[in-house]
Parts: sequence; structure tokens; C-alpha cells
Amino acid sequence: ISQHAIQRCSQWRCYASASSAGLSQDKITERVMTVIKLFEKISAEKLTIESHFMKELGLDSLDHVELLMAIEDEFGFEIPDQDAEKLNKPSDIIKYLCEKMEVDYK
Amino acid sequence: LMSSAGGTLIRQAVKEAKPVFSATSEDARRRVLNLYRAWFRQLPYIIREYDVPLTLPMCRRKLRENFEKYRQVNDIRVIDLLVAKGQMELVETAHMWKQKTHVMDYFKQTVTPKPTDFLGKFFDGKEP
Repeated sequence: ISQHAIQRCSQWRCYASASSAGLSQDKITERVMTVIKLFEKISAEKLTIESHFMKELGLDSLDHVELLMAIEDEFGFEIPDQDAEKLNKPSDIIKYLCEKMEVDYK
Repeated sequence: LMSSAGGTLIRQAVKEAKPVFSATSEDARRRVLNLYRAWFRQLPYIIREYDVPLTLPMCRRKLRENFEKYRQVNDIRVIDLLVAKGQMELVETAHMWKQKTHVMDYFKQTVTPKPTDFLGKFFDGKEP
């Protein structure tokens, strides 16, 4: 009977939690910074986690939209407008993604 | 506005335009950015479905150019109307109600620019 139970257990679907999917704040940070570096309108030298997109990196609002779309494509979910307006630095984006994907943010 | 001059009240009718879609400029800004997002996401499919001789960077630049053309506009109703027209263009393009030639029209490859200086206009036959 116990063997039968074990077989049934293996067929149950496991909903992956963030940690089992291999997501941690460091991995999110790495992916976000890679996406931002690939964006050709940003020079890699000036880019830090705290650099402001519009004030320090010289992006305008349409560039900001393009950047957020690249991040949406990378992580696979849509970022609504009210939240998108507030994401002005890479650190904001990382914090937002950690909250959305239920990863602990330090 | 009421101003008293010599004891008499002059009432000025304050006219306010009825909004087209958005009530605030913040609202209008969101519409513009959403239109940009929708066009941006549709571009690769446009290139594939219409089989136009364009690359994705060319199309993105043209999209950006068309949005930059109206950067100076501040009137909310005008912005709403421009967004509505952009949305109509997007719907027509996405549903394939247009043809390849209509998509290539955005790039104006066969349009000769109108002359601006005197000699150009003279050769064109325009009377000053």
C-alpha cells in the first residue's frame, strides 16, 4: 500500500516556490543588470545599481518604456503602468521584482 | 472671474473644453506610453506578416521618429486625438487590413522633398 502511495505522490503536481525555481535576489539582480547593459542607449561605465535612468543615464520616457518592456520579456510578466512610473533606478526594479516573485529582499 | 469696476460687476464666462478621453495630462501620458508599447510589441509581427524589406531597428527608429514629431504638443485634447489616430493605424496594421505598400508609406521612400529655397521653387515652376 505504501508503494502505491509513493507512486501517486510522484504524479502530483508541485507548484514551484521562488526558492525551488532557483530565484534569489542575486540572480534577479544579475538578470536585471544584464538586460540593462544590453540596452544600447545606456553606456556601461555610468551604470550602477543606484543610477537614475532619466537624470544620470539620460534616458527619456520612451526609452524607459522600452527598457521596462525588455525586463517584462526577460521575466515573463507584465508590469502595470502605475508601478512602471515609479521604477526609475535598477534598485527599484530589483526590489519590485523581488516583491512580485516573492523572493526575500534585503 | 469677477472684477468690480466702478461698482458694477463684470462676469467673464469661463469656458472649459470637454475632454476627449483623458481628464488629466497624467492620463494622456499613460495613453501615449501604452500606444508606444503596443506598436513596439507589434513591430516584429508586422515585418513578418507584410514581408516588407525592413529590419527591426529601422522600424523602431521610424516608430520613435513618429512619436518624437509630436513631442512638443501639450494640449490634452490634441494628444488624445493623436493617440486615437495612432491606435486606429495600429488596429488596421495588426489585422492586416492594410497592404505592404501602406506599411512602406511610413518610410516615404518615393516622396521627393518640396523645395524650400528660392532657386528650387523657381525650377519647380512656383511663382514667388
